[in-house]
Amino acid sequence: MVFLLRRLGFYLAAFVAAATINFFLPRLMPGDPIQIMFSSTGTELSAENLASLKLTFGFVDGPLWQQYLTYLQSIFTGDLGRSIKYFPLPVTSVLGHALIWTVGLMGTATIISFTLGTFLGVLAAWWRGGIFDVVVSVGAIFATSVPAVVTSLIVLFFFGFTLGWFPTGYAADPALDPSFSLTYIGSLLYHGILPMLTLCTVLTGGFAVTMRNNMINLLGEDYIVMARAKGLSDSHVMIWYAARNALLPTVSSLAIAIGTVLGGSLVTEVVYNYPGLGNILYQAILARDYPVIQGQLLIMTVAMLVANFIVDVSYVLLDPRLRGA
Amino acid sequence: MRILLSGLVRNRKALIGMIIIAAIVLVALAAPLLTEYNPAARVGRPHQPPSADHWLGTTRIGQDVFSRLVHGARTSLTVGFGAGLLITALGTALGIIAGYRGGKTDEVISFFTNMVLVVPNLPLLLVLAAFIGQASPLVIAIILGFTSWAWGARVTRAETLSVKHKDFVKSAEMMGEPRWRIMAFEIFPNLISIVGINFIGSVIFAIITEATLEFLGLGDPKTVSWGMMLYNAQKASALSVGAWWDILTPCFALALLGVGLSLLNFAVDEIANPRLRTGNRLSRWTALIRSGEGRL
Repeated sequence: MVFLLRRLGFYLAAFVAAATINFFLPRLMPGDPIQIMFSSTGTELSAENLASLKLTFGFVDGPLWQQYLTYLQSIFTGDLGRSIKYFPLPVTSVLGHALIWTVGLMGTATIISFTLGTFLGVLAAWWRGGIFDVVVSVGAIFATSVPAVVTSLIVLFFFGFTLGWFPTGYAADPALDPSFSLTYIGSLLYHGILPMLTLCTVLTGGFAVTMRNNMINLLGEDYIVMARAKGLSDSHVMIWYAARNALLPTVSSLAIAIGTVLGGSLVTEVVYNYPGLGNILYQAILARDYPVIQGQLLIMTVAMLVANFIVDVSYVLLDPRLRGA
Repeated sequence: MRILLSGLVRNRKALIGMIIIAAIVLVALAAPLLTEYNPAARVGRPHQPPSADHWLGTTRIGQDVFSRLVHGARTSLTVGFGAGLLITALGTALGIIAGYRGGKTDEVISFFTNMVLVVPNLPLLLVLAAFIGQASPLVIAIILGFTSWAWGARVTRAETLSVKHKDFVKSAEMMGEPRWRIMAFEIFPNLISIVGINFIGSVIFAIITEATLEFLGLGDPKTVSWGMMLYNAQKASALSVGAWWDILTPCFALALLGVGLSLLNFAVDEIANPRLRTGNRLSRWTALIRSGEGRL
């Protein structure tokens, strides 16, 4: 419990750090920060709207610390300002809507590749040095060292354009209305296959290598030798003695991987024109929509912290030694 | 050091990796000799498929793709190795100081390191690059260096902790060597393999991230680099209009460089720590790459 509370305190500090970067960055740039932030608003923004936007970002009269507190206050009350490109939509609703798609895509891809990678890693370690191990290890090198953007584009080129098996953009057929009908869900899945395939290609290798290495370390342990000496079957030793214990560090590597998944997912969404955060962000960057660009850092940080916390909790559940601490 | 080098020559993975990297470096150095076309100029009709005149075709605005490929290699390599050096220098210095000094210094450095690790790297870079405006390769390399040292610092600190209680460090302390000397000349040489792995991992990360930032539209349009090639090809909908050469060329170049560096990294890890030949602490470099990646 104390462990989890300490982690929560640390996450709060990390979040404030991200907010602090957002606050100071426009003020550190040469030139007028207000000019930098809102130059792309044009004339369509009324003076009143602009004033409220400025207030959100802490551009108030007064010393810097007062501006900083004003900004922190708007952040902690959930006000991230309004999007300039999609005015008058608030940043939170622009990003929140997109976040659902990203989390859906990312979550599914993470679960699939974590399961698949762990499974491949266990088998590779069990048959270490064999053909299977070599194929998995070398495959993992290739998959993890190629940028996500490159994997996305190559997968899209072969399966989307050359073979024409799958759609080349959007989350579902744009002609269909979102509903809980079978056609719509089918279209959703059909459009999701390529982005999912890309993300899984990028992620599986890393999980497989981590799991393989953990397993190999453990296979020399006395309790494994003991289990075999007891005459337990190979598969029983592999799953219940080795894999179960090797899973622990793999779970903590999951926390690190979340950053990768986020980054990979952003790029993949741009390539597949998928309506998630990546795509919104891409549009925001092209339009220099600073409130949205800043807002995504905070939302992504929160997403990352929540994911880390889930990993912390699962760690406590998996490792009995932490429960007392 | 010598063992490391002779080991590298004998290791097959390292050899393939080094051949790939050497080939790319050579191409980058010889870029002006390999092509007569100016990479930035309009030298042909738009979106011409590969031909004898334009080996890899032309872009939407009629630039020669092959010329952009070989000149772009210079940018990718410079950013990669420059940023990689900066990331490694910062990470190693902070890691050794935190690990050796301990106490309050360690607490402060470790706190910051862990904080940087939980703030997602790519979104942070996007915000920084967006405010800087059109980021040139130099600017990208610098911001990469200052935001991505945390993994190296954490790994180096852990390794320093295991070295600092060894006898040779104790005897140097007894002889009254200054602290900086102990860190630089007693501890650092013993961490050379971890520093090497950190360096190669950081180079991979920097190359991937530079390409990603540019692909997302944060690069300087005047830059000739693989990332800008991707950005321009994507903006010209190269795949939809069938101009595959425009977009697949930088893709394969980036993939090749990434694979070459990873093979080398894998090999350094195996040679530096013979126990790892079955893959013991190999997770380190994958962690580096992956945190790098998501860092992207």
